[in-house]
Amino acid sequence: MFNISRDFAPPIKMIEPFFVIGSIFYALGVLFLLFLDPASGHVDLVTVGWAHWFLLGFVMMIIFGAMAQLIPVVVEVGHFSVDLYYIIWPSLLVGTLTMVAGFWWIPDVLAYGGLLVLVAMVTFLFETFLTLKKAERITLSVKSVMWANIFLTVAIVIGFLMALAIGEGVVLDVAKWLGAHAVLVLGGFVTLTIMGLSLILLPMFGLSHGFDETPITRAYQLMVGAVIAYVVGTLIDWNWVRWLSLAVAFVSVGFYGYQIWIIYQTRARKAHDIYAKTMYVGYGSLAVALILGIVTLFVSSEQVILAAAWFLILGFFSYLINGHLYKIVPFLVWFERYSPLVGKQKVPMLNDMLPERRAEWQFWFTSAGLVVGGIGLLFGSSSLFHGGVTLMVVGAGFMLSSVLSMLSYGKELNISRTENNV
Amino acid sequence: MCNVTKEQVLDSISTVIDPEVGFNMVELGLIYGVDIDDDCNAKVTMTLSTRACPMHQMLEQWVREAAERTEGINEATVEVVWEPAWNVTMAADNVKQALGAM
Repeated sequence: MFNISRDFAPPIKMIEPFFVIGSIFYALGVLFLLFLDPASGHVDLVTVGWAHWFLLGFVMMIIFGAMAQLIPVVVEVGHFSVDLYYIIWPSLLVGTLTMVAGFWWIPDVLAYGGLLVLVAMVTFLFETFLTLKKAERITLSVKSVMWANIFLTVAIVIGFLMALAIGEGVVLDVAKWLGAHAVLVLGGFVTLTIMGLSLILLPMFGLSHGFDETPITRAYQLMVGAVIAYVVGTLIDWNWVRWLSLAVAFVSVGFYGYQIWIIYQTRARKAHDIYAKTMYVGYGSLAVALILGIVTLFVSSEQVILAAAWFLILGFFSYLINGHLYKIVPFLVWFERYSPLVGKQKVPMLNDMLPERRAEWQFWFTSAGLVVGGIGLLFGSSSLFHGGVTLMVVGAGFMLSSVLSMLSYGKELNISRTENNV
Repeated sequence: MCNVTKEQVLDSISTVIDPEVGFNMVELGLIYGVDIDDDCNAKVTMTLSTRACPMHQMLEQWVREAAERTEGINEATVEVVWEPAWNVTMAADNVKQALGAM
């Protein structure tokens, strides 16, 4: 038997900056898309700068903040030292801003930004590995998180070397290693982390039970193999190995999608609330990104690559993160401010803490923008792309406002965890 | 001999609500049993809807405190078990209906 002690759960003041900063980066990241030319390729430094803004400032920032809460849930033990998270967000914030400045304006500062990001990630990895070491039950989720962090380690070393190559003239074939860096981060870290966490979170929120886990086991094995093979293929410069690795990664995503379908079919909670709807669009985007990704194996088209990346990053990653913010943020706030009052006075349910109308507006504006912008990228229409982005900017404003509203819910209670320990 | 009934203890425990789903622990079918000994000590056997529930310790504590609030109960202990694993068929009809599971 295991207990998630109150001591295992991080205080909200530790996690709040991750979610606030992440949401601001999301909103500004979508806004910056208005100034991006869809005709510029995925290796253009402006596009690369935007990708780092969005992936480091939004995706990584929120994942790290969520991991402070979720690692004990996944691993079933307490953190090695949760206080290390106080180092992570400032280093990641300043590092990301410096890196983006390096990509967009001053290449010389790129390495310094990379170094700060390295500090944030090494701190996260150090804390996570020492926490994983305490795990008694090695579940598939634990293994996924472990491999995800191994891949992140390799990704940041390669990324830092690339930053040195661009900013300081270190000899490294950046174009060659960019693919390995992207596969390690997007496939190795983000996708494996999502696979591991969704095996716990989706059944928890949907009340799914007794489902077969074979598909996700295959998905995990294939993704680990694919990422390793891609890096080896880059190292020995064999293109066919890299091509095959990508094909295997796509098969892995197919198995993962099938697992999600099984979990969806066995869920007891059938409400189509904001969380469920966000998951539908997120996984729908993954399916579109997968199809476009398979097309890129056979057709060399920059438009298809950008559209696949659009549905993967702005669709799948963003929807999964934003959808879970509607679950995780109310829980953290409730846990901090209301759990000490249970049995003493009436407390709200987690659902009561959602700004429902704003969340609905966020969902519909963002979804419309996602589809229109994606079509614009696919068919090379700048007008459609920017029209879609404009809709997403409005949605992002509602998202930021929703997160701030959830974080401030019940703030006037001013309850101290130590004074009111349950 | 103790005169407190199992139903009285369950009534007390039914004040404990899971804030995520909005139903109480008894109607969710998460309370597997209540045993009361001659000295009016209660032992509650319960489960959770998921093994990785982040509110595990709090729910366990709230159930114990609720059981102890039952008039006549001296002390309550709670054991969390994972077998049989919970599923929605164990919940009351009103819960199943509200969740859309029937």
